[in-house]
Amino acid sequence: MDQPNETVLRARNLRLYFQTRRGPVQAVDGVDFDLRKNEATVIIGESGCGKSSLAKAILRLLPRNAGTYDGEVWLHDQNIMLLNDESFRKEIRWRRISMVPQAAMNALNPVMRIGDQVSEPAIVHMNMTKEDATKSAVRMLEHVGVPIDFLHRYAFELSGGMRQRSALAMALVTLPDVVILDEPTSALDVLTQASIMNLMKRMKKELETSFILITHDIATSSELADNVAVMYAGQIVEVGDARRFFTKPLHPYSHALMASVPRLRETIEPEFITGQPPSLLNPPTGCRFKDRCPKRFDKCDEAPPMFIEEGDRQVRCWLYDDAIQMSRPEYQVVA
Amino acid sequence: MATVTGDFNINAEVDVESIEATARKARTQSLVRLLRYTLLKLVALVVTVAIGVYITIFVANMGGEVDNIRMATIRENVALTATADPVFRAMATEERIAYINDRVELEAKRYGLDRPFILRSFEYLRDAMTLNLGYAQQLTSDSGSRMVRNIILERLPSTLVLFGTANLLLFFIALFAGLSLSRRYGSFADKAVLAMAPTSSAPPWFYGIFLILIFAALLGVLPFGGMVGAPPPDNPLDYALSLLQHMILPVSAWLLSAIFLTTYNWRTFFLIYASEDYVEMAKAKGLPDGMIERRYILRPTLPNIITSFALTLITLWTGAIITETVFNWPGIGQLYARAIGAFDTPVIVANVVIYAYLLALTVFLLDFIYALVDPRVRVGGGGPKQ
Repeated sequence: MDQPNETVLRARNLRLYFQTRRGPVQAVDGVDFDLRKNEATVIIGESGCGKSSLAKAILRLLPRNAGTYDGEVWLHDQNIMLLNDESFRKEIRWRRISMVPQAAMNALNPVMRIGDQVSEPAIVHMNMTKEDATKSAVRMLEHVGVPIDFLHRYAFELSGGMRQRSALAMALVTLPDVVILDEPTSALDVLTQASIMNLMKRMKKELETSFILITHDIATSSELADNVAVMYAGQIVEVGDARRFFTKPLHPYSHALMASVPRLRETIEPEFITGQPPSLLNPPTGCRFKDRCPKRFDKCDEAPPMFIEEGDRQVRCWLYDDAIQMSRPEYQVVA
Repeated sequence: MATVTGDFNINAEVDVESIEATARKARTQSLVRLLRYTLLKLVALVVTVAIGVYITIFVANMGGEVDNIRMATIRENVALTATADPVFRAMATEERIAYINDRVELEAKRYGLDRPFILRSFEYLRDAMTLNLGYAQQLTSDSGSRMVRNIILERLPSTLVLFGTANLLLFFIALFAGLSLSRRYGSFADKAVLAMAPTSSAPPWFYGIFLILIFAALLGVLPFGGMVGAPPPDNPLDYALSLLQHMILPVSAWLLSAIFLTTYNWRTFFLIYASEDYVEMAKAKGLPDGMIERRYILRPTLPNIITSFALTLITLWTGAIITETVFNWPGIGQLYARAIGAFDTPVIVANVVIYAYLLALTVFLLDFIYALVDPRVRVGGGGPKQ
């Protein structure tokens, strides 16, 4: 096995709750994950499982109703949760962690020229002159395949794919350590999705940046993923490397997710998961997936810890508790 | 910042020439679009004013019915003059009728009543549009001129100075108050402005009466009305100070009648636009708050603000006539009120024309600024709608 790359970003017990009139919504509830250099971690989950909130929690983009917000986020050897807001803005945002938003359609200012928006972070964070910033914007725009005469156009004059490319160029212009891609292709048609995914693969190879790809689109994400983290009801339920995850998922929820992906030239009907994801307002005690889980048993009323499986894979499910596997052979998970 | 950058060369040569070329192209394109847009707006406004003025002319003449009244008046006058003439009395009946008809025709020709009304209505329109406004029947200018143009031009600066100041103040106060309220949304100040918003249903002169009562009659700290003290100070500085002192109450009345609703409106615009995705992105980009507010909230909101301001101004202009009368301000609003009192039709029509022009000018200026701040307008429906 290759020497694993150094870890760039480490989240430990990250929590982000939102205050609502009916109580706190536990959008991100004790999330741990690692991101290594020049690798892509895909965070997969259903709508409303808290994956976009996780992106917001990492970049500290808190809405007005944010409540509990704690845990640790280590960027190299610095816990960035300890920074005050002003130094977080100056040192972390876009300098070291940038993002490509969910809908690049609305992520560009309608009354500013594309070039000005792409070069803006370079001016603000790297003390570049306007000319130098424009040059690096041009380099990056050309690199992601946006022609130079788009520099002076406005967002409404661009197609969806071009806007997404511009947003990507904007995220990369300061050459950050980590780029968070929040469903970067979900608003695009299939052909554009493919070209954007290819572009991101190329960027990953050429820029040696690390990516966090947040998506519900398992099929597309498999293109880019080195590692996979599955999120369910505000928690990470499985972490592992992509190759083994996509061939043999561990958690029953991951199984169900994989089974729901339609496959070409196969007669297997895609399956769906019965029931609704639980409300994050009052998440069930014990395992949060237990109400929809086909393999539920009595132990599931207790909250499962992360179990280590196959050396470096982690899964939050009692089925992988060694003691249980010994005593209840009928629950053994055999792929 | 990533230290290693793979195959990507951060120092790759950039074709500065072509950047400048596209910049030039974009600038020319913007300019051409702006000019085309401005020209179209100008034509549209001139046509609008022409239609408005023509309708006024048509209504004021009751669609030509006034001609009959005037013909009857002429015939009566001719007959009265004729009966006083000894030569006329010596004539035979047929001769008398012929004589009167001749004189009536001559008079009608003198007033241009021999030609059909429709033709003349267009001449009136041309005269009105070129500010060839004719002569007043009763009123004179302070310099003694009967020309309506002189009467109006003499008073126009006072109106412009008062309402120009008041509207500029209204715009900037509402803009900054709205921005600061949107920042402190839900605070006491925000709720107070919301509670005060209904006060804007009263016109400026309504507040004017109370302001005069309090500050002029009761406290005696500010003048009741007028534009400068009497006699007008000779020294330009004293003149300006006296003018300022006289402007305080009318400007305050103007502001009071619009400021709360306008601020509340604009604060809501800012709140809506502050929740756009690109504002969130700007935060993620780590831009300073001031920059986010200017570039990502204020600028995209400005087109809406300008539209809303244009609508506010159109409503407010109508209140200008009574406001000037209440404050005895020697502007065209007060002139209008006097002309109505004196049945001076040429002055009334001229006033309508001037108001139409002022309104059109305001709208034109705002449209022009609108095009400057919103690139989407300049394209003229070419781009996809967002």
